[in-house]
Amino acid sequence: MADVFEVTDEIKAQYGKETDPWTYEVTTTSVRMYARGIGSTDPIHYDVEFAKQQGFRSIVAPMGYLGTPVYHPDTNDPTFGFPRRGGGARLNLPTKGLLDGGTETEYFDYICAGDTLIERSHLEEVKVRGNMVFVTNVSVFRNPDGKEVARQRLTSIHIG
Amino acid sequence: MRERGRAAAAPERDDMAEQTYFEDVQEGQELESFTITPDKQQLVKFAAGSGDFNPLHFDEKFPMLKAMGIPDNITHGRFKYAQVGRLVFSFAGYKGRVKRFGVQYRGMDFVGKPITVKGVVTAKRQEGGENLVDLDVWTEDAEGKKTTPGTATVSLPSRG
Repeated sequence: MADVFEVTDEIKAQYGKETDPWTYEVTTTSVRMYARGIGSTDPIHYDVEFAKQQGFRSIVAPMGYLGTPVYHPDTNDPTFGFPRRGGGARLNLPTKGLLDGGTETEYFDYICAGDTLIERSHLEEVKVRGNMVFVTNVSVFRNPDGKEVARQRLTSIHIG
Repeated sequence: MRERGRAAAAPERDDMAEQTYFEDVQEGQELESFTITPDKQQLVKFAAGSGDFNPLHFDEKFPMLKAMGIPDNITHGRFKYAQVGRLVFSFAGYKGRVKRFGVQYRGMDFVGKPITVKGVVTAKRQEGGENLVDLDVWTEDAEGKKTTPGTATVSLPSRG
């Protein structure tokens, strides 16, 4: 099958181009909701006092949950919640289907309820295999002091 | 192997981490696996917790399912990623740290079908003053096919 998409020099020139920042909130309610969503029964995700007794600031965000992007109907995608913002790469990708290709998270600290994180993402790479376009973005999460807390690499598969 | 997820009416505490120490870990050691069978309610809870309301995951009449030849609602890739996160977080224990974990979504899993989460120690090393353990991690479907393979690194405390 012929490739449905070409990774042009114009696209490659956008690798590393950062988006504008966006705020992600980690609250006791959002941590508990995510923990319920994954079926966890670990009290470290639900019980603030228990979490503090274990040495954490508050209940701990389950692995992979890096907070919820602040949502406003004017600025966020209604289905996925991610922010539509300025900066970053601009690609005209195939739209017949969209699937998750992979996720990788690197932690420099645990994330706990009460944290506010500032996230910026950038395009890392685009690859094409037949009718599938693999787009990898990296999101960098920092605390308000500018310290990097986590980095998440997301690969989406756009089907043409 | 533990059975988790479905209809835990009373709060179970089987996610609570029993602390693992670096000295006790051996290459080839298998992590304690578990199985979760997400029903539609579980996937709706995950949609709420994660903010991913793609109808692929909860609407059996969503046209894209038929267009893509998919027979039933798909379990979120990120739900499976979070299950791998539960595995590695439980292995690290509250005194350990998950440094990184990543997966690829190689195969689809479907609502109401069991997902078994597994891991094995591939290496242990001391680096930068930390006791690091590398893992292969994955989810399997009911036929034993690895649908979400990946790797992880955790830092464990020492008994010393």
